[in-house]
Amino acid sequence: MNALALNAAGLRYDNGFTALSDITAQFARGSFTALVGPSGCGKSSLLRLLAGLEQPTIGSVTGLAQSDIGFVFQEPTLLAWRSVAENITLPLKIEGHARSEIDTRLAEALQLVGLTDFADALPRQLSGGMKMRVSLARALAKRPPVLLMDEPFAALDELTRFRLDDDLRAIWRQQDCTIVFVTHSVTEAAYLAERALVMQEGKLKAEITIDQAGRTDNFRGAPTYTEACAELSQALGHKSGHKSGAA
Amino acid sequence: MRYLVPVLVGIALLAIWEVWVSLANIPVFILPRPSAIGAALVDNFATLMAALWVTLKVTAAAFFWAAASAIGLAIIFTRARLIEMALYPYVVTLQVTPVVAIAPLILIWVGFDNVSRALVIIAWIVAFFPMLTNSVQGLRSVDPQLHDLMRLSGANWWQRLCYLELPAALPSILTGAKISGGLALIGAVVAEFVAGSGASTGLAWRIIEAGNRLEIATMFASLALLSALGIVLFYLLSFCEWLLLHRWHDSFQRG
Repeated sequence: MNALALNAAGLRYDNGFTALSDITAQFARGSFTALVGPSGCGKSSLLRLLAGLEQPTIGSVTGLAQSDIGFVFQEPTLLAWRSVAENITLPLKIEGHARSEIDTRLAEALQLVGLTDFADALPRQLSGGMKMRVSLARALAKRPPVLLMDEPFAALDELTRFRLDDDLRAIWRQQDCTIVFVTHSVTEAAYLAERALVMQEGKLKAEITIDQAGRTDNFRGAPTYTEACAELSQALGHKSGHKSGAA
Repeated sequence: MRYLVPVLVGIALLAIWEVWVSLANIPVFILPRPSAIGAALVDNFATLMAALWVTLKVTAAAFFWAAASAIGLAIIFTRARLIEMALYPYVVTLQVTPVVAIAPLILIWVGFDNVSRALVIIAWIVAFFPMLTNSVQGLRSVDPQLHDLMRLSGANWWQRLCYLELPAALPSILTGAKISGGLALIGAVVAEFVAGSGASTGLAWRIIEAGNRLEIATMFASLALLSALGIVLFYLLSFCEWLLLHRWHDSFQRG
């Protein structure tokens, strides 16, 4: 059963730049897919297509209502004047949930990202990693069947990123949601996802399944992980396209 | 220190002024001593306070309408490009035409039996523009990703305005307000000058009247009150800005 699908979809911006062409892909319910590729290859555009933030100029997207999508941006994208709790609950408030429901979901989301003690803090009091957690909590509070993430941890230091990667895996297992995760990092894709879609110059270039069998906590040391990294690097090729334009 | 130093400088300047005027024998109708100005202020206290009140009312009304109309128009401009394209040149025309030149026309249109309303309109014209441009700029500068976030949350235009655009634009709007507050006072004074005698009895009119009677000390006293009013307005608006922004905005962060 697919949560999302792209059927020969293409996207051409008003300025004439073709960001995506002829993309066909399925995203099974409960799956974790990484979209990998160099900057400007169209991975963010593809994510915006899945979120309904852009409409395909050709082909079609089988998606969900925007209310069923949790979106995590590249930057934390928080409202500076609202506290952590107020940032997390804003989408719920807009959707018109009852007060008690909002409080339950807030507590749950704060716990998932480990920020229960910071509910009243303002964004400027938090570190980069914590802000990103707030952003993730805001998406999770919607209890979305689908979570779309656009290089969410790219700006963080490596240790923070490793920790957030682990947290995200745990949340995915626990929440049983479908995740599409955009990254330019081969290692991050190999570590996080069950499947990686390799993109180049607006096209899908390869689909690589990452073997999850017998996966332990120490996956970064496992041979299957190393193999996946090698396979992904190879798929990306030595001469990666470096077209500028919409990312 | 921040407050003490300027106060000491002020006292020193007044003392020099006092001594210099006495020693140089400058006639009182050219430059009165600060003590004479103080005496004039005390002697005419009731009239001057009444005049201050009139000017304050005009200034406050002009500022209020400038803020309300500018923010309202800014919201319309950011929602509808076409309306902005259609109206913007005329707003600029209103801004660049010297207000002293339009003032007599406004007095005639509004009528001399409604002078205070004419004064407010003239002061409004002066105060309006910075408030508008700052508000438009603020509303335009909202992070596009935050707009995406609101879209994904299914926010309607009213929610987007209240939750995102107005708070995000608040720092710019308040900068505009600080400029407009001062301009509203200038506009009120210019308007009183143009309106001349009659129903207008604000501080600017007291200045003209005292000048005609060669009561230069009273003239200075009125002038001092005008400056004081301007300073109070500025700090009042700065305080509002601090109240609304200091918790979250970068401009109030130290270090």
